[in-house]
Amino acid sequence: MSGEAKEVLLRRLEGLEQMPSIPVILGPLLRYFEQPLESLDVQGAVDLISQDKSLAAQCLHMANSPLFGRWQKVDSVRSAVVALGMQRMRDIALSCSVLKLMPDDQTGIDPTVFWEHSLGCALVSRRFARRIGFADHGKAYLAGLLHDLGILVNLWILPQEFQKAMALARSRGIPLHEAESETMGLSHCDSGRRLAEQWDLTPELVEVVSWHHQVESASNHRALLALVSLSDLLCRMNGLGHGFIEERQVNFLEQPGFALLLKECPTLESFDWARFTFELEGYLDEVHRLVSLLYRPK
Amino acid sequence: MTASAPSSALSAGEAAPNPQLIRIRDLVYQVAGIFQPDNKLRLLEDRCVKRMEVLGAKTLREYYECLTVKPIRQAELVSLLNEITIGETCFFRNLPQLDALRNIVLLKIIEARANLPLRHLRIWSAGCSTGEEPYTLSMMLLEETASRLKGWTFEILATDLNERSLAHAKHGSYGTYSTRNLTSYYRQKYFTDRGDELHVNPDVKAHVNFSRLNLFDDSRVAFMKGLDLIMCCNVLIYFDGLSKRRVIQHFYNNLLAHGYLFLGHSESLYGISEDFRLVHLPSATAYVKSEKRQVNR
Repeated sequence: MSGEAKEVLLRRLEGLEQMPSIPVILGPLLRYFEQPLESLDVQGAVDLISQDKSLAAQCLHMANSPLFGRWQKVDSVRSAVVALGMQRMRDIALSCSVLKLMPDDQTGIDPTVFWEHSLGCALVSRRFARRIGFADHGKAYLAGLLHDLGILVNLWILPQEFQKAMALARSRGIPLHEAESETMGLSHCDSGRRLAEQWDLTPELVEVVSWHHQVESASNHRALLALVSLSDLLCRMNGLGHGFIEERQVNFLEQPGFALLLKECPTLESFDWARFTFELEGYLDEVHRLVSLLYRPK
Repeated sequence: MTASAPSSALSAGEAAPNPQLIRIRDLVYQVAGIFQPDNKLRLLEDRCVKRMEVLGAKTLREYYECLTVKPIRQAELVSLLNEITIGETCFFRNLPQLDALRNIVLLKIIEARANLPLRHLRIWSAGCSTGEEPYTLSMMLLEETASRLKGWTFEILATDLNERSLAHAKHGSYGTYSTRNLTSYYRQKYFTDRGDELHVNPDVKAHVNFSRLNLFDDSRVAFMKGLDLIMCCNVLIYFDGLSKRRVIQHFYNNLLAHGYLFLGHSESLYGISEDFRLVHLPSATAYVKSEKRQVNR
């Protein structure tokens, strides 16, 4: 990849003009749920979610999934909010609204694969955060959900280049960001950062989107970043990746994210990685099922 | 230790899993080191119910007591483990593990062996039962002799405690259940059809050396030296903590510095060994020797 060609790609990214603006519903949802949970009221959340019929329907699918801890059927947005609580509902509503960001006619990545990875990473991040006593596990879900935002940017703005990167990653069994760097001179982290900043996402989300493949380069929010980075890798090593097998051997204790996270969560020292991995296998099927319910190609 | 806390369990149905079942799942993991993920809880429940019928236990809570406080607890755990692992023996049993072995681990072993004079692989199938595992390895490695293993030789040491299983293994004839995962490619290339059974061809057998071995026989186990890989699936789960540690210590010493240890599906060494490091491979896990220390016998 020549420096000149990379410059051209970077200029195309700067404009972000082909990228949709933040989805109509996502902006208000993000702002609403940024308030302290205790100050949110049920009716406010119900009104917001009900504004968009397809969003409300998708939220109900998710609210009825065991992945969100619900075992009795809920049949309205209100009963879902009441039964699951505001934090779970925030996770669900944001997950569904982010679904709307995929371009309709792209051929770079199978949309269900992308959403399975995003939802999987969100769930694993949240579960991992709880297990190791990470202070704010509510943030972990959202950060896991949005970490690969840059892939969407690449699908919108650099579709052909991204397709080549995907093909390379698939044929060599290497991580997607490595293939992107090799073919495009930049990765979905670079493109994601531009969108995250334009959308004015919180600084910690910008860090996660920008540095989840290079945690040691980040200067802030490193624990959350490390947590998502490890969750992302765990998903990719266990059948919830980008649609191909990464032919590699990973020792989680040698990952840069491990040392960073250990500083904040000392219980990580004795973490049972094997069991956590086996548990993930137990909800893979449910992630596949849920995404197939949520994602209906237009 | 937060990791031992029961997780929220999922199942495809509507009803939340019985908390007693989660307790049994966690107990089995804690004592035996084999984990039943949420999508297999229903299967675990069926197996518990089968055992409950034998024992006359009416509830899962009562059965949990059979596994923990009653004098039969040791024997009952073995019976439950037998139910859990029943019918697992077949050719190409754990495909992600075998793919990872072939595509990643084999390359790493070859690379590590580049400094050693002998181009020879030594593999031990510890607890080989009726032979499906070592024959699978033999076929897989034979497939590689034209490419990655060109110019190499290999041997598979296959041991088991049970004489009858070993006799079956040496004979090498298998019915439909054992051969259910075999593709037509492998059937045609490495087996001879003998009516109801498939018989393993001599070229596959030639690389496998069966013998009877008790993993607690220290002097004989210590003799298994210079190994690149040990496969020990669904064997350690039957041992108590102390015995597990003893066998694992042997495995550590048996393996070369680059050696790998593969366990059965959802089987873990957590809390048993600090000498091995868990590594993740695509949809599989394995253990590698830690470089921290070499253990002297």
